[in-house]
Order: sequence, then structure tokens, then C-alpha cells
Amino acid sequence: MTSPSTGAPDVLVSARGLEVHFPVRSGGALRRTTGLLRAVDGVDLDVHRGETLGLVGESGCGKSTLGNALLRLVPPTGGTVTFDGADVTRMGRRELRELRRRAGMVFQDPFASLDPRRTVAQTVAEPLEVHGLHPGRQARAARVRELLQLVGLDPGVAARYPHEFSGGQRQRVGIARALAGEPDFLVCDEAIASLDVSVQAQVLNLLRRLQRQLGLTLLFISHDLSAVRHVSDRIAVMYLGRVVEVGPASAVAAEPQMPYTRALLSAVPLPHPQLERSRQRIVLRGDVPSPSRVPSGCRFRTRCPDVFAPCPDVDPALQPVGSAPGHVAACHLHGVVGTPVERERPDAPVDAGDPAA
Amino acid sequence: MTQLPTPGATPAAPPPSEPLPTAAPPRPRWRETLGLLARNPTAAVSAVVLVLIVLMAVFDETLAPDGPNDQDPSLQLQPPSWDHPFGTDEFGRDILSRVVLGAATSLRVGFLSVAFALVVGTLIGLLAGFYGRWVDDTLMRLMDVLFAFPAVLLAIAIVAIRGAGPANAILAIGIVYVPIFARVTRASVLGVREEVYVRASRSVGASDWRLITRHVLPNAAPPIIVQTSISLAFAVLAEAALSFLGLGPRRPNPSWGLMLADGRGFIDQAWWYTVFPGLAIVVTVLCFNLLGDGLRDVLDPRQRTLMAGGGR
Repeated sequence: MTSPSTGAPDVLVSARGLEVHFPVRSGGALRRTTGLLRAVDGVDLDVHRGETLGLVGESGCGKSTLGNALLRLVPPTGGTVTFDGADVTRMGRRELRELRRRAGMVFQDPFASLDPRRTVAQTVAEPLEVHGLHPGRQARAARVRELLQLVGLDPGVAARYPHEFSGGQRQRVGIARALAGEPDFLVCDEAIASLDVSVQAQVLNLLRRLQRQLGLTLLFISHDLSAVRHVSDRIAVMYLGRVVEVGPASAVAAEPQMPYTRALLSAVPLPHPQLERSRQRIVLRGDVPSPSRVPSGCRFRTRCPDVFAPCPDVDPALQPVGSAPGHVAACHLHGVVGTPVERERPDAPVDAGDPAA
Repeated sequence: MTQLPTPGATPAAPPPSEPLPTAAPPRPRWRETLGLLARNPTAAVSAVVLVLIVLMAVFDETLAPDGPNDQDPSLQLQPPSWDHPFGTDEFGRDILSRVVLGAATSLRVGFLSVAFALVVGTLIGLLAGFYGRWVDDTLMRLMDVLFAFPAVLLAIAIVAIRGAGPANAILAIGIVYVPIFARVTRASVLGVREEVYVRASRSVGASDWRLITRHVLPNAAPPIIVQTSISLAFAVLAEAALSFLGLGPRRPNPSWGLMLADGRGFIDQAWWYTVFPGLAIVVTVLCFNLLGDGLRDVLDPRQRTLMAGGGR
């Protein structure tokens, strides 16, 4: 959120040129590295204190890896991440532990994210034990009850095991665990994707309520555009390991400035039947190129309906677009800005993934 | 804009279609485990039999009708009778007494060698599986070297270096089983390590040690428990093999394996000589296996609820 006095946003988490590259290894005993999978490839992103930032993009575009890298749950291979001013990539043991208290994570599949052999109380109390919060059996038990109540569960269920709960209830337990250390920042990694639709709404509203009640900063990772639009203050769009458009939720939703965002938004069905019938869909051709063979220049150019001359040669940088302040996109349609590239990158032939080829 | 429930009030009560589980009885976990085990008839019977065998081993001197080495040349290789229910051996010794007295030796060798293999092997498997990379490579290649030797040959080598005797037999059998536990544990850990709940636990700041002891080991345990029960069985047999080769407990003191080995020479004249020590081994080994299976089920919370709910 923008602080009213200065107008400059108060940044809690910030990524600059963040890269997470995984080596692609051949099988066999020698395990030679045969390539690089660029899951996150030069991401610049700010999360403002107190906001909900929605991160959207199709499967495999690196959303989850980015969320994990911001918390150093996946080690970044390049670039920097700062959390409240501190460099996350250079944190020592102790600082890292404090980061883990201040930044929580809610996972996609509530059936996988809770240890089946531990009771709800044990799961929710884990952060308390790790960080030495609320010492003493009584105090911990009281805090666990409080947390369960906070996420809308009956505190009487503390002694139960996860398999006795429904998906929505388990996800509430996961949220309670993430909140136990009183974090400032919560990464919700597809937190509603594997829930029933009716339960999705409940959990979504729970997250909104908690955010307001506790003053949380939320990174809401999802491929569900309507959910993201519902909860987010700002939206960031990711494509093939790069953030390609960021802006206020209303601006990105109403006037997307990058062809990929437009295509993504046009895929959302409309509830009104008449509007739905007249909805113009932009259907992208071809598949997403493999993150181990990223096209040169603009990485969206192989599927872009508006591709033109500079696209293969200049890697576009984020630049101000549209009318809303803080709305940026990486697209040459708004002026050619970016870094010129060698077209002959060894791991990215010019025609990689070209659907026309 | 969504309706926000007022903070403080218990918000967003789940719809009635999702009944919340009722509060658990405040019974200690181990009591509950024992209770559930008692409802599994096979495991319960096995446990009782094993307790009896252990008691027999502990009070062997009191229980045995004769001394283990009381010879009576007039009673050589007598078939089972009221005086000697299990018959006698080639020196006229009472086989029942020797089976009772041999229990202590066989069980001690079995328990201690498996305990050694369990502790060392599980630790190696945990480290190799959890840390991967060079830790995995180093430890597991070492295990491969141990595995490459035929078990008996390795045991003979160890006993040859350290000298014969029960203590070294235990060590030898223990070392032979270390790689098996290491492999079983590692394989199990490799699966558990990737579970989301391990990552979730890391995300709240849990240390490696905590991850390993609180999450990885308990979830990787079932195959290890089963392996333990199987190994106890094999260790009793291995003790027999080593004794047979003169590398374990020494004659004339009885052990089941030794008796089996000695009886082999008379199997066409005196079936009871091998059958009764053999039965003792079979019953013990079978009980270990059945108890292991039962334990594996009972230690799984999902099975637990099923059993507690539909329990007989």
C-alpha cells in the first residue's frame, strides 16, 4: 500500500534480477549437466507492506518457484531478495530462522502439507516450539486454541489427526500453522486450488479477514484469475520465469497492456450468459516453450499475436504503461526498452518452440 | 465486498455437511497403542507368546527340569516320553531343558545384534537419504562394500579378527545386517523427504535435526519396523549358523542354533532332536513377524482411527 505522506510505496519484500536455475542432468552414474532449466529468470518484483499481491500465470511459469525463492525455501541462483531491508540470500542461520518466523507459507494441497502422524495441536505448535514462543505447556496449548479459533476451527479438535478433517478444514490448520509465529508476510501458494469451489470461497474470505485483522502482507499465487482479482490489491503476471506485467488489480484487469495478459484475461468465463456469448477470446497458438529453451529477446514472442521486428533482439524491461500509476509491463508495443541480446544463445535457438515451425 | 465475521466470535462455522471430529479422549498415546494392539488378535497372541518366551529365557534355571549338561549315558537318543517330553540327545541330555536354557542365548544374540544393526543402519540410512549428494554416495558405497561379502563369510572374518564367543557373534551378525537397515531406511526416507509436510515444517523454521526426528523418521518407520521383525528372525537363524561353524556360543552350553546343528547328524534316528529346537525357532520367528505387522498397522494414525472406530 502506498503510504499517504510520501506517495512512495513501503516495500516489505523485494526481488531484483532474481534467478532460480535448475541444472538438467543426464541420467547415469556421471550425472553430467546437460542444460539449465530457467524456472525463474530475472524477476523484479516488489511486495508492498500490507497489500495482497496476486501472482498469476499458467502452469509451469515459475510462480511457485518464485514464491519459494522469496523465502529461500528454494535457493536462488542469482539476483537478490530483500525482506524488510535485509538481504535474504545472504542470511546466516539465525537470521534465516527469524525470517521463517516472520514469513509463512500456505501450501496448495492440504492433504499433503500436514504430517499424517502428528496431531493438529502438534502441527500448529511446531513454529512455537521452533522459535521458543509462548513457553510452557499451558501457554502453548492456549495459543494453539487461540490460533484454531482464529481460523474458524473448534479448539476441541486439537488432539485429532489430519486425516479426520475435510480439505477446507485441513487448509485452515495449515493457515493456523503459518500464522503461529505472528508473521508479517504470508505466501499462499495455490492455497485454494485443490479445494472444492464452495470451500474455496470460505478459505478466500478467511484469508482476507486474517489479512485485515492481522495486518498481513500477502503474496497470493494462483492460476485462478477471478480468485486473484477478488482478493488482490495489485496483480503481477508471470510468463516463462519472468514477471511481464504488474499493476493495480483494477488496472491490470480492466486494461491489460501486454498481449499475454490480454490473452489470459480473455480466457476467464463471464457469469452473464449474454456477455459470455459475446466474449472475445484471444486464443494463443502453440505451447509454452520449455524453460530450458527460452526464446531470445521477448520470451513471449513465439506465441504473441502482435510480434514485430525488435521482439527477438531486445529483452524487454518493465516500463510504465497505461493510465494507472504503478502499472508496468515488459512489452515493446509501448516503446522498445530493454537489453539487446545475442540471437545465437547456445541454449535458446531463435526458433525454439516456434509454433509455425 | 464480502461479509467479514466479527473478530472474537468463533467465525465462519463450517457447514453441517462437514462434521468436526469430536474431541479425543485424553488417554496417553502409548496406552492407546497398547489397547489397539490388543484388539488385533494375531499381534496380541504373538506378543503374549513372545513375553512367555522372554520370561522363559529369564527364569530358565528355575524352569528347566534338568541341568543343561546333565548327561545320562543310559538314556541316549530317547524319544519323547513323560520323563523327557522332548526326548534326549546323543549324550542323554534332556532336550526340553536345553531348549529352555538355550532361549536366553538365542534371544540375547538375536536382540542385541538386531538392536546394533537397527541403530547404526537406520542412522546411516537417515543421513544418506535426507542429505543426498556426497553423503549418500559415500555412505551407500560403504554399505555396498559390506553387502558385497557373503553374510556368513563376513561374519567369519569378523569373528576371526576378534575371536570367537557370543559377544563377537552379536557384533558380526549386527554388522552383517547394518546395510540392510541402511538401505530400507534410505529408500523410505527418499520418499518422505519430498513430502510437502517436510517442506512446510522447514518453512516455519524447523532445523534439519527436527525435520529428521519429528517428521522423516516417524513417517519412514513402517518398513523399518517390519525389517526389524524379519531381522530378529534371521538373526536367530544366523546365530544358529555361526554356532554350527563353531563361531558363536560354545558347546556344551545350549543354544537353539547349536542344537539344530548337532541334531542334524541324527535326523534319521531321532527327529525330536532337531524338531523341538527348530519349533522353538519357528515359533519365536513367527511371533516376531506377526507382531511387526501388527505394530506397523497400529502406528499408522489412519489405521488407528479405522481400528478404533470399527474395533471389535
